[in-house]
Amino acid sequence: MVPAFALTVDGMRNAGAVAQGVRFIVLFDPNSLIAAIARSGDRAAFAELFDHFAPRVKGLLMRGGAPAELAEEVAQETLLAVWRKAALFDPAKASASTWIAAIARNLRIDIARRETRSRLSQVYEILDEEAPEQPDETLSGAERDARVRAAMTHLSPDQYRVVELAFIEGFSHQDVADRLAIPLGTVKSRLRLALSHLRGRLEDLR
Amino acid sequence: MSISHRPSDETLAAFAGGQLDEGLAIVVACHIEADQESRGRLRELQAVQGALLDAVEPVAMASGPSLAPTAAKPEAASVETAPMSEGMPKVLRPYGLGPWRPIGIRIAMRRVEVPGADARVFMLRAGPGISLPHHKHTGFEWTTILAGAYEHEFGRYAAGDFDEADAEHDHTPRVDPVEGCTCIVAMTGSVQLQGWLGRLLQPLVRF
Repeated sequence: MVPAFALTVDGMRNAGAVAQGVRFIVLFDPNSLIAAIARSGDRAAFAELFDHFAPRVKGLLMRGGAPAELAEEVAQETLLAVWRKAALFDPAKASASTWIAAIARNLRIDIARRETRSRLSQVYEILDEEAPEQPDETLSGAERDARVRAAMTHLSPDQYRVVELAFIEGFSHQDVADRLAIPLGTVKSRLRLALSHLRGRLEDLR
Repeated sequence: MSISHRPSDETLAAFAGGQLDEGLAIVVACHIEADQESRGRLRELQAVQGALLDAVEPVAMASGPSLAPTAAKPEAASVETAPMSEGMPKVLRPYGLGPWRPIGIRIAMRRVEVPGADARVFMLRAGPGISLPHHKHTGFEWTTILAGAYEHEFGRYAAGDFDEADAEHDHTPRVDPVEGCTCIVAMTGSVQLQGWLGRLLQPLVRF
């Protein structure tokens, strides 16, 4: 997909003049794609976002045990919501991946609990709108994401798997235990350890 | 607002992942809305989900983008909101609230209507100095203090604090002698209330 010689430069889309004879290939930059949708309803930008994120949303749901059809539906709906809500995306609050993962979670809840008239996804939206009280003490979405990613590289494969299962689907700890064929207590202690590990790393980086 | 009691990492992770029962989730959300530290932790846990999304193996879509050629231009979607009285958590806006009903002397309760929940959700308002009903239960009882305070053997719980109790607990919170206490509670399982106040509350708690 991306040639090995591709360069990544922040803000390349606005970089204007580039060195003669050098062709810069802009790496996938979801923030400017979302901005282009918000600005002018840019369909090409949407197609590019779709090609990147829809198969990942579908993959994440299926990894969590969702049937392919449901995963496809959630992925389609998620990208449609990205189209509709592009103007609400605030890179200072969260990275594009984090924002899209939250939309996918809300839609999974809406779809799974359709018949119960759940309003839980609205609760998450209200919380997301809450402005931080002390902006200078909070990190930008990109900084927070980078730190979380760095912390996650230190999880053991077992911890990573438990975190993954505990987060990506409607799995109770008991379901996770059944899927991994390990005792419930082990799931709980691994998850607790993984989360406190992440927390410790994040506090060190603060 | 100085908050000293917060949900465990596992509870926040389950909230972030969308796995909590809706009734329990609402009580957690009332705390998160009031607490900057928990909001920061929630954002971190959501960033974990973003990282998982980036790392996952993509699965090809059966069909491509389904934007109709005439699809409306993107619009700012907004959350449906009902007018709320002041001091009420914003996260309760999507839900219907029953009337305050006195259930004893200086104690009143109102139901929070959460059609998708297994847990029962209600608000409780108690006058200064009274003791909340002594009770035992089989499931969870999660509480966020909205105003005032109460105290029991695990400490003092004031506005914004989150009290995560399970079946092991058997306690009698004492309401702050000056401020009284208003809280939101989600309960799962069955509850056995004791004492005269408990007997009064019993039919209401069951709804």
